[in-house]
Amino acid sequence: MISKEVEKILPLVQKPGRYTGGELNSVVKDKSKVDLRYAFCFPDSYEIGMSHLGIKILYSAANSRDDVWCERVFAPWTDMEKEMREKNIPLYALESGDPLTEFDLIGFTLQYELSYTNILNMLDLAGIPVRSKDRSSLTPIIVGGGPCACNPEPIADFFDLFMLGDGEEVSDELFDLIISCKKENVSKAEFLKRAAQIKGVYVPSLYEIEYNEDKTVKAVKATQTAPEKVTKRIISDLDTVHYPDKFIVPFIEVVHDRVVHEILRGCIRGCRFCQAGFLYRPIREKSADTINTQCKRLCETTGYDEISLSSLSTSDYTHLEELMEKLLSWTEDYKVNIALPSLRVDNFSEKLMGYLKRVRRSGLTFAPEAGTQRLRDAINKNVTEEELMNTARQAFSGGWTAVKLYFMLGLPTETYDDVAGIAELAQKVVNEFYRNPDKPKGKGVQVSISVSSFVPKPFTPFQWEAQDTMDELISKQNHLLSSVKTKKISVSYHKVNISFLEGVFARGDRQLSDVIEYAWRHGCKFDSWDDNFLFDVWLEAFEKCGVDPLFYSSRKREYEEILPWDHLDYGIRKEFLISESKKAYENETTPHCKIKCAGCGTNMLNGGKCDAMRKSMV
Amino acid sequence: MRCVRVWFKKMGMSRYVSHLDLMRAMTRALRRAKVPLWYTEGYNPHPYITFALPLSLGMESLCESMDMRIEGDSTNEEIFAMLKDNMPPGIEIIKVSDPVFDPKKITFGEFDIFFDCEGNSDKIVGLINGMLSQDELIVQKLGKKGRHKVLKDINLIEFIKDYSVSSFGERVKVSVILPAGSTTNVNPSLLADEIQKRADGIAYTLIRKQLLTEGMEQFA
Repeated sequence: MISKEVEKILPLVQKPGRYTGGELNSVVKDKSKVDLRYAFCFPDSYEIGMSHLGIKILYSAANSRDDVWCERVFAPWTDMEKEMREKNIPLYALESGDPLTEFDLIGFTLQYELSYTNILNMLDLAGIPVRSKDRSSLTPIIVGGGPCACNPEPIADFFDLFMLGDGEEVSDELFDLIISCKKENVSKAEFLKRAAQIKGVYVPSLYEIEYNEDKTVKAVKATQTAPEKVTKRIISDLDTVHYPDKFIVPFIEVVHDRVVHEILRGCIRGCRFCQAGFLYRPIREKSADTINTQCKRLCETTGYDEISLSSLSTSDYTHLEELMEKLLSWTEDYKVNIALPSLRVDNFSEKLMGYLKRVRRSGLTFAPEAGTQRLRDAINKNVTEEELMNTARQAFSGGWTAVKLYFMLGLPTETYDDVAGIAELAQKVVNEFYRNPDKPKGKGVQVSISVSSFVPKPFTPFQWEAQDTMDELISKQNHLLSSVKTKKISVSYHKVNISFLEGVFARGDRQLSDVIEYAWRHGCKFDSWDDNFLFDVWLEAFEKCGVDPLFYSSRKREYEEILPWDHLDYGIRKEFLISESKKAYENETTPHCKIKCAGCGTNMLNGGKCDAMRKSMV
Repeated sequence: MRCVRVWFKKMGMSRYVSHLDLMRAMTRALRRAKVPLWYTEGYNPHPYITFALPLSLGMESLCESMDMRIEGDSTNEEIFAMLKDNMPPGIEIIKVSDPVFDPKKITFGEFDIFFDCEGNSDKIVGLINGMLSQDELIVQKLGKKGRHKVLKDINLIEFIKDYSVSSFGERVKVSVILPAGSTTNVNPSLLADEIQKRADGIAYTLIRKQLLTEGMEQFA
């Protein structure tokens, strides 16, 4: 329950429903009867955080233990923060209304680099020192996990530890350790030393980083029995791992307000720009039966009328047709829609489209990512123009009149011809519509192009690449705009300065922590929100801290250079990434994992098992 | 297919659920309860649900009602039994009945305003009685002028049908009957804000107690 003080300020802020808690299916326990209190923090607004599947899974998993009470915390919007600071109300968790200082464990999910300032702001709002070294007591312990934990170096000084990889099992082991350390009343230093022994736990303070004169990393030394390399955790069997039977149903509308089901982890495609495609390997599929049963249960406990089958590439799920049959056997009666995000152009079958038509006609979105075949080969997108046209033709004859296409600018080896190729490809899709003899009468076609800016990320074959500078990206955006000749094609693109900053932090090191703290202390927060993004303050922060941001974003690295995340092991062999990187420059593709195992090495994390190989091996 | 009226209280934290969000929350509750809803037969079938008179954000209520269309021959008692354990926290089903009045018949609302007086109860009672016994109490109301929203001066006294002021302990209660409905509507927060302004910003809570027809019959 929230406090009287909070209740008094609620009438003064926008969307107070974000700050009250008490939603259906939220978990309230008796705090005197648990051994560990866990505040799960999403460093962005309630609407974003409540849309995130990971928090639902880990919240439910933690609360399935009687000795743990996990609660949720989101970043209060700026108007709420102002009221809270004025009235000295510390940041509180939604279930109990208790301030974060009363918690044993505070966990942040690290979904995107631009949420880093919010982490500092949330700690500060709770009255907790932002740097790990300034927090001497055992609790609260500040931890992080999620995709950005693969290179947490820019925020390493603020955290006590990170959990790498799938969080379901490693969190459990961490809970046990904290509970026993609390009982023994050990020091924080001793706790961290023990924590580093848990597989998948990275305690940054136990690693000494030495730099060369040119500021590149010279050596990373593990101290106090911490492992030389920290290997990420994976869940071996998705059918038996915990999955929530209830989702919290928010009162206010959030971004993704529906049942979400993760049907597989990992991706067989190996697109060279895509970090998620490498980070979440090896491939593990969930059985159609499990998904079907869990989806039905979730619809009954939430009342949601939509299910989204989520994964990095949903049409690659081996049992998709079986699953759709099973789901459609009851969803029509339940008046439940099924959404299939992340479909691919090359295996979008007529049958699949038939299923889609039975559920609800939403927009169709495809991601060719690059405008020319040469560049699509270089990034290993493995999609041909013919496949895209076939899909467009099928969609148009199926009655669709709007298609959305995703592209990226600034990909390695990209030329201005590749940029113009985006407009040409979109034009061909428009032409395909008019070539269709059964096109709906009196209706035009709308092709929307959405272009983002490429950001090189760790653990991808492009981790050594120089990111395009902001000037280069703007000039490419303009070139694209001038290449589009019709109003049937609309173009939207991202702000380049946001991508630039993302590029700096994605491959940054510990020398950036001062920059982040400076920017936050000078007002930066909610950086991924255009209205709040203070780019000038960020530039000032780099200057004041004597850090050249281009060193991180736009510097091409040698394969031999020690990268700031080299002591973290995501199971991907570096030789594999190097060979993929070289193939990109030869415009040479690598077949997807079901055709031929490319030897990335991540199956070794799962005892040699990978669901992409299963069929071909038998 | 028939129409039923579901009566519920909206108390506690659920007062921060806006009208639009309530619509969504109730639709989900009906689905969880497996109420045999009648769905519209258009391109995108949806249940047919309307609320008698939307409640302002932040106000509690003892007298909310929602009309919906159901299929089959479930009785009102059966629908009540399905609903009562499936509501989101803060929303409590009171009863299910056949609609008597058209929601358009709603003309007045009775509200209680509670002020937290922290030891100043007598002074605040005096202040409120003083305010309400004048001929004029001018406040600004956001109104429409064509397409534009403009602030209009209105004399609250003209709209107050009835009122009483009482105090118990630290709290002062103002009960007031004001026009409510689709033609004339005066939000009790106009009065509450004015009192708050004149009493050093004391905190208040608002609750809608009942809705009345033109003939002062309880809306049913």
